[in-house]
This record gives sequence, C-alpha cells and structure tokens, in this order.
Amino acid sequence: MPENNLSDAIRELAFQMEEKEKRAAELIIANKELTFQNEEKEKRAAELIIANKELAFQMEEKEKRAAELIIANKELIFQNTEKERRAAELIIANKELAFQMEEKEKRAAELIIANKELIFQNIEKEKRAAELIIANKELTFQNEEKEKRAAELISANKELESFTYISSHDLQEPLRKIQTFASRLIGDESQIVSDTGKEYLLRIGDAANRMQSLITDLLAYSRTTTSERKFETTDLRRIIEAVLSDFKEVIAEKRATIEVGEMCEAHIIPFQFRQLIHNLIGNALKFANPDNLPHIIIKSRNIKGSNGKTQNALTEKEYCNITVMDNGIGFEPKYKEYIFEIFKRLHDKEKISGTGMGLTIARKIVENHNGVIIATGELNKGATFDIYIPAT
Amino acid sequence: MKNIFLADDDADDRMFFEDALKQVSIPTQLTLASDGLELMNNLEAIVEPPPPDVIFLDLNMPRKNGFQCLEEIRNTPKLKDIPIVIFSTTTNVDAVNKTYQHGANHYICKPHSFELLVKAIETVVTLEMWQKPQPPKEQFVLAFA
Repeated sequence: MPENNLSDAIRELAFQMEEKEKRAAELIIANKELTFQNEEKEKRAAELIIANKELAFQMEEKEKRAAELIIANKELIFQNTEKERRAAELIIANKELAFQMEEKEKRAAELIIANKELIFQNIEKEKRAAELIIANKELTFQNEEKEKRAAELISANKELESFTYISSHDLQEPLRKIQTFASRLIGDESQIVSDTGKEYLLRIGDAANRMQSLITDLLAYSRTTTSERKFETTDLRRIIEAVLSDFKEVIAEKRATIEVGEMCEAHIIPFQFRQLIHNLIGNALKFANPDNLPHIIIKSRNIKGSNGKTQNALTEKEYCNITVMDNGIGFEPKYKEYIFEIFKRLHDKEKISGTGMGLTIARKIVENHNGVIIATGELNKGATFDIYIPAT
Repeated sequence: MKNIFLADDDADDRMFFEDALKQVSIPTQLTLASDGLELMNNLEAIVEPPPPDVIFLDLNMPRKNGFQCLEEIRNTPKLKDIPIVIFSTTTNVDAVNKTYQHGANHYICKPHSFELLVKAIETVVTLEMWQKPQPPKEQFVLAFA
C-alpha cells in the first residue's frame, strides 16, 4: 500500500481541507455573526454600563433617599413619641381642665346663691336705711324739741333766778324794818318799853335774824342750782384766804388758830367754791368746843382715785382732795349723812344758831363739781370734811 | 355845821336816817327829799344857802332814781364835786361797782340795826377828806350788816 495510503491521505486531507474550508467559511460567517453579536453585545454592554451607571446612580440616590428616609423615619418616630407624650399631657391637662370646669360650675352655682342672698340683704338694708331715715327724722325732731325744752329751761331758770333774787330782796326789806324798829326799842327808845317788853323785842329780833339767815341761805342754795357754771383753774389758797378774811372778827373773837397747809390748784367754779369753803369754815368756827381753843386745819392735795376714801372713784383718775378739819364738838358717826340733809340740825337753835342749810348747800356745790363730800367725826373729838373733785 | 341832803322814797328809812343823824357827834342840818326829782329840785334851789357837804342817795326811787341823780349831779358844774354816799339795800357787787363807776364816793348798805346805822352815818358824816370819785379796784362796801 503506502501509494494507496498516500492517495487516501491526500483525499482525506483534501476532504478535510474542504471541510475546514467549509468550517472556515462557517467560522467566518459565525465570526461575522459573532462579531456582529459582539458589536451588539458591546452596544448592549455599553448600554448596560450606562444603564448600570444609571442604576448605580439611582442606587446611590436610592440609598441617599433611604438614608434620608431612615433619618426622617427616626425623626418621625421621635416626633411621634413627643406627640404621644404631648397627647398624654394634654389628656392630663384636659382632665385637669374638666375638673376645674366642674369646680367653676360649682363656684358659679354658689355665687348665684350668694348673689341672691346679697340681693336679699340689700333689700333688707334698704328697708333698714329707710327705717333709719325715719328714725333719724324722729331723732332730729326730738332733738329740736329737746333744744326748745333746754331753751325753755334756761329761760325758766333765769326767771327763777331773778324771781328768787327779787323775792329775797323784797322779803329782806320788811325784815330789816322789823329788826331796826326792834333795835330802836331796845336801844335809843328803850325808855318807852318795859323790861318784859324789851325781852320780847329781843326775841322778835332773834326771830327776824333767823328769818334773815334763812333767806340768805335759801338764796345761796338757789344760786348753786341756777347760776352759771364756769370752771376756772384756780389757786385754792386765794379762796381760802379770802374766806378767812371774811371771818377775821370771829376768828379773833374765838381766838381760833387756822392752819392752812399744803394747797394745790383745782378746776372749780370760783364763786361757788368760795361759798363752800365759807360754809365749812363757818361751821368749824360755830361748832367749836367751849373747852378748848378752836384749831382748824385746811389743806388740799392731788391724788389718784385709789387712794381716797370713796369707793366710787375711778382708780386711775386724778382728784383734788380738800380737807377741812376742826377740834370742835364733832358729831356721832351715825349722823354723817343726816347732817347734809336740808333743814336738819343736830343742835337746839337756842344754843347754836343755824338754818340747817349750810352743809346742804356745800354738798350741792360739790355735786356741781362732779365730786363728793364725806364727813367724819366723833362726839367732842371734832369733825373732818373731805371733798374730792375731779382734777379736770 | 354840816349840811346833809338825803333822798329816799321810804318814810321809815327817812325817819331812821333823821334820828340816827341826830346822834352824830357833830352838828348837822338835814334836807329830806322823797325821790330823785325832789332832790334835784332842792339842789337847783341852792343859790344862797351853802351847798350840801354830803348827799345821801337811795337807788330805787320813783320818778327819778339814784343812778339818774348821780349822773345829773356829776354833770352839773356847781354840784359835781359834792361827796355822794349811796344809801341802799342791795349787796350785789356789780350794782355797787356801778355806783362807783357813775361817780359815787361811798356806798352804805342799809343796816339791820339802828345802832349800826348810827355808826355808819357817824363815820361818813365826820369824814374831812373825800377821795375823788373813781372806779373801784376792789369791792369796797361799807356794809356793817
């Protein structure tokens, strides 16, 4: 074989070559196809790249967006939480408001009741005001009546005062005639009268003198009630000295010792107070003890109420205490009030003269000064008169 | 001889005064008047006789009272220096002061006894020196009552 082998080989090769050329041609077509597909693929790849870039970009965007969304979500969650808290608070606040609303409505209801009450009271008050206006008019009217009455009283008082003065004056005139004629019959015309006649005339004279004292004392008493009451701060020493001067002769005649002690000032009605002291000193001299020489002590001092002898004095108020003390015949303690009564005397008018008005007048004067007078004494051991008058 | 004039409307008081004057230690001559008008007439009539040494004057008299006389006398040139003693019953201090303010020299309050009256008139009538009438500072009442 070998030259058959070679022709088989060459035919094989030619056959393979044809086959290869077919294949090559197929390959070339396939290649062209491939190239075309490749181009297509590359186009597509390029598109894909672009698309991919686009996607990547969108992906990024999406991721940004996602991140933002996550943040936004957190934010929302946070805000939600806040909102829920707020809602919870609002619910509490709401409950609170609801409660307050209830309270306010209760209050409003109470106020309505209170208002009704006030309106009612207002009506009552207006009724009362109307009544008060009427009462006021009544009082004003009564006041006017009282002022008229007071004016009438003042005028009646003045009339009484002048009536009293005139009567006492007019009563004294015939009295004076009786006394003077009687004194003539006892004195320079005594030769026409018998001894019995003279004795009778003496008694006529005495009776007339007593009547004169009575008139004088009654006038003094009426003056203490009707006269003007003008208070002045006065040095008591001046008044005492004036009164002692009035009694100069009697003091000398009885050889009396007058001791004027501590003296103070007092708020008094000078004219009345002089009458008071006159009566007290006059009594001290009149009721002297025949067994010894009269010794009279007069003093005054300022004290507080609690130190005095009277129970009615206000403890803290200031008083002026005037004392007139004598060593005369005194009186039994049981008569300490009796002696101040009008016309009451402890002695026979034959033995000791007097109208029984001196102390009555004295007490009236002390009362005019809003004060009190207290008598203390013992039989034959003298008497003490304490006067307490307010300092102002 | 002292020439005394008295004006008083009360007959008893005139009688008392006259009798009391008789008991005075010096010689006197008395001209009575029963009221102010009579007194002034008596005083006017004085041309020849000597003017009174003292005029005693009551206050309460009809027709012309003591105060009117006082004023008239003090305003009459020939009479204005004559001593005047008021002789009255009142003891009212204001009334007494008023008499001094109107020119009286003295004031006697009519006493309740004849003896005292004699004493009072004696004191006044025998006065040699009279103070000029003036308003008084203190109450000066020759009372003796």
